[in-house]
Amino acid sequence: MNNSADHRFSLMSLTMPVAMGYIPLGIVFGFLFVQAGGVWWLAVASSILVFAGAAQYMMIPMLVAGLSVGTIALATLVVNLRHVFYGLSLLDRFPTRGALRWYMVFALTDETYSVLTTLPANTPLRTMGALTALNQGWWVLGSTIGALIGSQAQVPLQGLDFVLVSLFVVLATEQWRNRSTVLPVWTALLSYALAYWVSPKHALVLSIALSVVVALLWRKPTREDAV
Amino acid sequence: MNSSHVGWVLVTMTAVTFVLRALPFVAAQWLQKHPFVKRLGGFLPLGIMSLLVLHSGVGAALEHPQGPWPELAAVVVTAALQWRLKNPLLSILCGTTLYVVWRNGSF
Repeated sequence: MNNSADHRFSLMSLTMPVAMGYIPLGIVFGFLFVQAGGVWWLAVASSILVFAGAAQYMMIPMLVAGLSVGTIALATLVVNLRHVFYGLSLLDRFPTRGALRWYMVFALTDETYSVLTTLPANTPLRTMGALTALNQGWWVLGSTIGALIGSQAQVPLQGLDFVLVSLFVVLATEQWRNRSTVLPVWTALLSYALAYWVSPKHALVLSIALSVVVALLWRKPTREDAV
Repeated sequence: MNSSHVGWVLVTMTAVTFVLRALPFVAAQWLQKHPFVKRLGGFLPLGIMSLLVLHSGVGAALEHPQGPWPELAAVVVTAALQWRLKNPLLSILCGTTLYVVWRNGSF
């Protein structure tokens, strides 16, 4: 019994920092979605099904603009591409089969990833699964509250959608913290300038293509010639 | 927003996101065998996030005639707070609040 109380305590202390972020950011998402003309329960459905904060924020203006399913799918691919490189460090830690494995893969967000990678190697799968589910619960809770508030009141504040830019800045700062080279940032600046000059409308896709080419040509510097 | 369009978008986004998250778990051997995957992994996440900041920031700046100053200030504040304090909520709220206050002309 003592053991289970300890377990609950550590679970709460692990999920609390995520809750402090997911509830308010979920509220803003639900609110923006409904203010943009979406039905409240579709905001909740997207937090249950898609469960990817930056992509969900990004889809709001794209839905308002009536962009095609294919265009939004491509944008989701770009925004969530970083996830391909997350799972590799958790391969041995996840359940080898079963519903829990696939649920934990499905729900592997930035925050859950960063909490799971800090857990000691002997952490029970039950704890990791419960943590993942709690984290999603906070996000769904926040989205629901925000969607319900948004359907009650009209708030004519300009620029609230800047929350997406801030979210990208936070993710970029964390990638910067773990960088092996600064070259990606210079490549991004130059390729975006070039792509914008060629075609403002397609600047993002063009500059991503340019960055992929540079990334493939890039050789990681050895320790001796690293700056 | 047309609800059936939103529905199809949600189904597609769910599938794309799940495939990306599942890829390392189903194709780990293939991914680890090819050195170019490692090179992309060391380069693309930071590169793409920088591009998304640029693209969304430029998009916001083009929506009003005040020049790019509110965007630049909010991006710098968000990045500096995140770098020092590692608290995503605090960084996002401060950056967004600064931006909303500036854009709505309260000072």
